[in-house]
Amino acid sequence: MARWALISGLRGDLEAYEAIQTDLRHTRRVDTLFVLGDVIGPERECNALLERLQQPRRGDLQPHCLYGWWEEQLLAERGYRGGRRADALRLSQGEAAVDALLQAVDPAHMNWLAALQFGFIELDCALLHGSSAAVDDSLGPDSSPLLLLDRLTRMDVNRLFTARSGQQFRLELSGGGIGSQVRDLEGQRQHQQSVPQRQVIGIGAGVHYTIYDPGSDRLDFFIAGTKPKQRARGFA
Amino acid sequence: MAHAVISCLHANLAALEAVLADIDQQGIDTITCLGDLVGYGPQPNEVVNLVRERQIPTCQGCWDEDIIEGLNACDCSYPSQLAERRGQLAHQWTADQLSEENRAFLASLPMSLWRDRQLFVHGSPNSQHEYLLPDMDAFAALERVESAGAETLFCGHTHRPYVRELRDGSIRVRVRQTPGEPAGVAEAEDRELRLPLRRIINAGSVGEPRHGNTHATYVIHHEDTNAVEIREVPYDVERTCRAIVDAGLPPIFAWRLRHGFEYAERADDASHVCER
Amino acid sequence: MSQTLLISGPPGCGKTTWILNRIQSHSGPCGFLRLAGYPDEGLLQARDGGIDLAWLQDQCPGLLDLAEPDQALAPRPANLLALIELPQFQPPTDSGLAGVDRRVIPQLEALHLSPDEHLHFGRDHLLPRQDTLDFSSLQALERNLAGSVWDPASLSSFWFELVNGAYGDVYRAKALMNLPDGRAFFCNWMVSREGSQFLPLQTTASPDGRPQRLSRLVVQGKDLDPAAIEVTLADCLLSDALLELEQARLRQQEAPSHPSPAA
Repeated sequence: MARWALISGLRGDLEAYEAIQTDLRHTRRVDTLFVLGDVIGPERECNALLERLQQPRRGDLQPHCLYGWWEEQLLAERGYRGGRRADALRLSQGEAAVDALLQAVDPAHMNWLAALQFGFIELDCALLHGSSAAVDDSLGPDSSPLLLLDRLTRMDVNRLFTARSGQQFRLELSGGGIGSQVRDLEGQRQHQQSVPQRQVIGIGAGVHYTIYDPGSDRLDFFIAGTKPKQRARGFA
Repeated sequence: MAHAVISCLHANLAALEAVLADIDQQGIDTITCLGDLVGYGPQPNEVVNLVRERQIPTCQGCWDEDIIEGLNACDCSYPSQLAERRGQLAHQWTADQLSEENRAFLASLPMSLWRDRQLFVHGSPNSQHEYLLPDMDAFAALERVESAGAETLFCGHTHRPYVRELRDGSIRVRVRQTPGEPAGVAEAEDRELRLPLRRIINAGSVGEPRHGNTHATYVIHHEDTNAVEIREVPYDVERTCRAIVDAGLPPIFAWRLRHGFEYAERADDASHVCER
Repeated sequence: MSQTLLISGPPGCGKTTWILNRIQSHSGPCGFLRLAGYPDEGLLQARDGGIDLAWLQDQCPGLLDLAEPDQALAPRPANLLALIELPQFQPPTDSGLAGVDRRVIPQLEALHLSPDEHLHFGRDHLLPRQDTLDFSSLQALERNLAGSVWDPASLSSFWFELVNGAYGDVYRAKALMNLPDGRAFFCNWMVSREGSQFLPLQTTASPDGRPQRLSRLVVQGKDLDPAAIEVTLADCLLSDALLELEQARLRQQEAPSHPSPAA
């Protein structure tokens, strides 16, 4: 059965990417690699990683990439988002960060970046950088369960994989319900609704990555280049 | 104190006058309007003028936005090519009619209004174009109210008035995450979120009712008892129908209004097989 | 033993439906002929334009078209059930075969048809009565829609408006309409019935351009407004560009390993 590797937040770090590829090649029996955005960032020159993603080396697992928050900022600043610019970045980190981001990515990569998708739907899973609401939606283990349930409902999926928070977590909606009473011109009706058995999964960032087996629903969190404690790492 | 909420006037002067008279008759002087002052109906300037004269606090609807943004179509998804063509025709006609002053007024409208913890929007707190239907997923409905920080959400846009109460909600979650590095023991933690009681009140439509008959609808919120009354007001439909035809709008608009069918209904699937 | 029946009645009384049932319950070969009928005072017959024959042939493969001159000369198969449909507003003055409208006889003779029995809706108790209305005056409107393809949701809206009186007081409407996915529907409505029939034809075209089959709208009623119907039709029918867009989407969905189920 197919197993997926999910990574994000490389932000130009080719070494981290190579460490993950090495991990996957040697040990993990993975056949699909999803890159949930943030392959670029302002900290370092990103061109080598971008080239590697577009032209995988022999032995690399072919990456399937989405755009993330950093790509969104760059695309906006370079005029690929109508009138919008990298306002969110400018507001949170200042003009210098915008300049650094522009410097980090060769304009020759813009067409490839502009063609990236917002999300993938695979089986009953949504693979997104942020959430179904927006690319900057940061979902974590402490997010309001009501908000998480809404994000799942919007995509009508049972599993939502998110990367924006950078955290690795599995949050399972395990129970509960709500009563609803509607009154309109036709009269009044009551309805009781249960919480569906759905999950939100944070896949981590950088060398922290996730392996998912959709057949068994088994999920494992890894750190590339380290040997995990055997007994500790997985939970189905 | 009682407070009237009106929505979706759609340039129907006779309906607006009847609703305002009904509100006045009850001695209510607080009115809030949830937008869509124009679109489809024959009296856009007259209706905007009346709302301005009465100084009714108003938030912007999707039609108001589209008229000032110069879009050719309202984003509210058209259910069919026919509905889209008619909508575009109505948009063009309205844009041609509207005075500069009234256009500026529509442009000045806020997306939302607050009164204490009551929030007033056209569609939903997320968007003027989102429909909060009475039977939508209860958790998603509650999320709209709760994420906005409101206790009661007043909305319109669907043209069907309703009052929805969401209560006794709870969500239990089991969270597992890896503490520290390298990937350590996955510890499970169970949590429960108790959800607060929240209400969504849809004001229906003054100018383009979609609830099965031709009466204008709006709601009255009695703030002392927290009771909500859905009001139906008959008005001179024929007056508006004559104005539609006199204005040169398609006669089919008059026919639809006269029969209580909205201008662009969600059509049944033509491939539905009805065996008689 | 062969039998030739002449079935007459006013519009929408259920002639074609009754004929379809007879054909489907007959074990041997069947033939069909639709006569045009004659206008009565103030009552116009709508030209059917082949809708009934196309619908019946779709439902009953092998149905003989008795209007074909070749059929008339060919030897008739044994045990042939020949059904002749005649729109006729007023009940016959005489009972039985004596009541057959004399004006149709030369046409029947030319086609070598001689009815053994004549049944008229509203007169003969063998036939259902519930849809047989008394018409005082009637207009007819026909619109050839050959090559036209509908936006499906718009067809639903138009039909709703049509039968609910937006374009005049409609008593009867029937049509064969094309959808972009290659299906065609027999749309059928009668004032005495609740709800419309939308019956899919067995034969479908490939979703590739405009289908080459009969497509037609026939409406009977009072104060009909053909100009308003034309305005709405123009907003409902798909342009070449939109048709291609929609069909390209459908073709893409039809990956060979996943035949897309009919929506």
